[in-house]
Amino acid sequence: MIAAVLALALAAPDAPAVTADGLRARHGGVRRLTADVVQVKEGKYWARPFESRVALRYTPERVEWETLAPVRALAVIQGDALWLVGPDGARRDLGPAAGDPKLAAILRFVRALLAVDLDGIERDFVLRYGPGEVTATPRPGSDLGLFRAVRLRFGPDLEIASVELETADEKTRLRFERVQREQRAPAPAPAP
Amino acid sequence: MTAAAWAWSALRRARGTLAVLAGVAALAFALRDTRLEQDPVRSLTHPDPVRAALFDRYQQRSRFQDRIYVEDAGLTPDERARLDAALAAAGYAPMPLLERPAPDVVLSLAPLLPAADLERLLSDERLGARAREAAGLAMLPGGDAYLAELERDPLGLGPAVLERLSGSSGGGGGAGTTRAYRSPLPLRYDSVGAVYDLLVSLTPRVYFIGNDFFSVENYRAANHDIVLCSILSLVFNLALFYVFTGRWSLLGLLLLGTVVSGLTGLGAVRAFHGEVFAVVLAYTSTFVGFNNESLVHLAGLGRGAAGPGHRRRALLGVWSAIGTTVIGFLVLLLGRSPMVRQMAIASLGGMFGFLLFLVPYRALLGGIRFRSFRIPELPVRGRTVAILCAACAAGLAAVGVPRLATHIDEFRFQSPVLDAQLAHFSTRLDAYGLDDVIAVPAAPATAAEDALAPLVAAGTVDAARHPLARLPSREAQAESLRALGGYGAAVDRFRAHLEATGLRLAPARDLPAAIGPLDGWTYLDRLGAVGPVRWSDDVGGRRWVMAGLTKAAAGRVPEGAVSVSPRPHYDALLTSFSRELGWLFLAGLALMAVYLVYLQRSAARVLYVFAPLFLSALAFAVYARLAGGSIHIVHVMGFSLVIALALDYSAVVVSGEHGPVERAKVLLTGLSTLGTFGVLLLARHPVLRALGATVTIGCAASLAFALLVSLREDGARSARGVEGEPP
Repeated sequence: MIAAVLALALAAPDAPAVTADGLRARHGGVRRLTADVVQVKEGKYWARPFESRVALRYTPERVEWETLAPVRALAVIQGDALWLVGPDGARRDLGPAAGDPKLAAILRFVRALLAVDLDGIERDFVLRYGPGEVTATPRPGSDLGLFRAVRLRFGPDLEIASVELETADEKTRLRFERVQREQRAPAPAPAP
Repeated sequence: MTAAAWAWSALRRARGTLAVLAGVAALAFALRDTRLEQDPVRSLTHPDPVRAALFDRYQQRSRFQDRIYVEDAGLTPDERARLDAALAAAGYAPMPLLERPAPDVVLSLAPLLPAADLERLLSDERLGARAREAAGLAMLPGGDAYLAELERDPLGLGPAVLERLSGSSGGGGGAGTTRAYRSPLPLRYDSVGAVYDLLVSLTPRVYFIGNDFFSVENYRAANHDIVLCSILSLVFNLALFYVFTGRWSLLGLLLLGTVVSGLTGLGAVRAFHGEVFAVVLAYTSTFVGFNNESLVHLAGLGRGAAGPGHRRRALLGVWSAIGTTVIGFLVLLLGRSPMVRQMAIASLGGMFGFLLFLVPYRALLGGIRFRSFRIPELPVRGRTVAILCAACAAGLAAVGVPRLATHIDEFRFQSPVLDAQLAHFSTRLDAYGLDDVIAVPAAPATAAEDALAPLVAAGTVDAARHPLARLPSREAQAESLRALGGYGAAVDRFRAHLEATGLRLAPARDLPAAIGPLDGWTYLDRLGAVGPVRWSDDVGGRRWVMAGLTKAAAGRVPEGAVSVSPRPHYDALLTSFSRELGWLFLAGLALMAVYLVYLQRSAARVLYVFAPLFLSALAFAVYARLAGGSIHIVHVMGFSLVIALALDYSAVVVSGEHGPVERAKVLLTGLSTLGTFGVLLLARHPVLRALGATVTIGCAASLAFALLVSLREDGARSARGVEGEPP
């Protein structure tokens, strides 16, 4: 039995080596990204662990975060602006984020996080690379000090697998499925 | 002699210089952390504690304190990204235009909201929509930050109040494209300069404002001036000194001594001030001129170098020159302008440092000979000098003493780019009635509206642009408070809506106890706590209400009121300091006259010493009248330097009875001073340029008088050839 367990453990694939260069090569130059996301939130403001299914549509200019179930809601981030679209299709503008740097920083971070834009994340976070994952902790004095830690886990091909966000009041787990991306073609190598 | 013996002998001969070099290194090491303050205006404090407190407390909430603003609506996304990166690299942190106040404070202003608005906010339809929004936002990663806000202000009264305020002058900051950034502390001029250069390159599609940009311009101007003026005046003085004495070793003495005096001057300032004004550091470039004077006056006094009569007269000249210089700087120490005080301290420290430096070299100094020149002269009697002085005084009275007024613009460096930005934002502030703000005292138990009423009637204050115009009537407020009666029940309904979406919030269902009808004072106090502008204050046992002056009344502060906007405040303060310095200047003159009467024992000689000053004062008054300008604080400082430097010429020649050696010395020192201060005319900083112009005019008049006019005293010995001293 022990031998079997050991054999299984030894046969299990190693967590992929995650490096900044590797992630940049895998995720840099994203033009379009779509994914199905399963989100679980639990914490002070939730009566019980709350699971929702989300459709993510990302372009560098615009992020759509559409909650499909159990309630329908669409949040759109474009530039510094954030708005919600209700089930009736009515748009509720939450105002330009320019006036509130904290909200602007959260939106900026969400955009960077969903596209695994390391430069964007590093603006407010310090990154630590480990086997199969990257852990981000806020820089001192950052507007994003509300986050205690953010963990990004990657699959063997360095595709994003899950994200965990932890604040004082809430823990959020995002599991990414059916990720599809369109990337800029890498620049041609210079002629010898 | 062996090489070792020669080296030992050379070492022994140079031990004094080695000690000086070691001292210089130690001083430089001790001063290495000197912090430079770029803005000499910010450090000024009003002597009246009430005015000072009103201004400081108003400015604490100032939109321009430790922050910058950028209007970037015209930029492309790429340009904005570049700008964001430069701002972040310089340490600028984005901040809200309007600091989010504590919910209790905002809620206490809820009676400002019309009853109809409150009823809408508390309606079931609105509460349901708000709960759906909350759920939508809660689904976003990091959405709990929004939920925390929601728990503190469940019905969104705060944003509604702020929205209402931002439409009035009280809230301000409604410009959608204006971004605010908190300044890095301490300011790193290189990275802030990079931001500034980028912003300048993006004009006119971007507008920007903030003290940091003025500091950068002043820093650059001071750096330019320090380098340019120091090099030019040093080269000029070294060349001049060589032409007159023909000895290279003295050039080394002047060069090393100038380094010593610069360091001792700076050390003296550091002993009394935590920060040194950059403009004062630039001013130390003139020390080479002071040092040249000291070197020249003290040179050639060796016992074997001249007869005892010459030595006695020369010492009289030295004491007259040094004494008046010290008095000139000492009186400046009594002034309240920190910049002028620092200049005086630096001058005194530098002068004593240089004199101390000369001690090991006194033998070398004693043996110096000066080349003399044939200069024509006009001998006059004491009576003629007295008539000349009286005529100058009468001329001065006829032309009129120029008006003494100092404006902030004359005190610091401003480029046309910054002027344009200032004009743009002044228009913005004017739209909010905040361009020229005064504090108006209110009699006890007087309503804020009544305190302003006389000014409104006189057209000095526009009531329609004052926040009091947005204070609803008592009846309207009572109606709003009635609408708020359903607040607790509305919170319960909202919670039920949230629970249906899976959210569990526990907002307080009671309104703050302080909520109630607002009178004028309470409204202004709370408005000040919420917004960036203080509209009322309690200072000196009185209540004050702030109001912006109308365009028609701009710059005319009504009696009893106090200006709290920076420009008029600093203009008045600097003008008051100028007048004070003017009186100190006259006191210094009186003190010098007493000192010289004691030393020279002759009224005619003292009048002769002061005659160039009368001439310079008349020349300056005529110039000011023709140019239509006024005298400001830097001119007065310049006059003090004229006394300190230029009166030495007439003092030395009259003490030496117009001997050729003294005249050659005066020609040398005079040219040195003209060169040193003339170089300041090339400075960018207006303070240094004004100083250079004043001292150059004064010293030119004094030099010409001392060289070309000689005093022939009745019954006195012939000046030349007595005791047969060599030229």
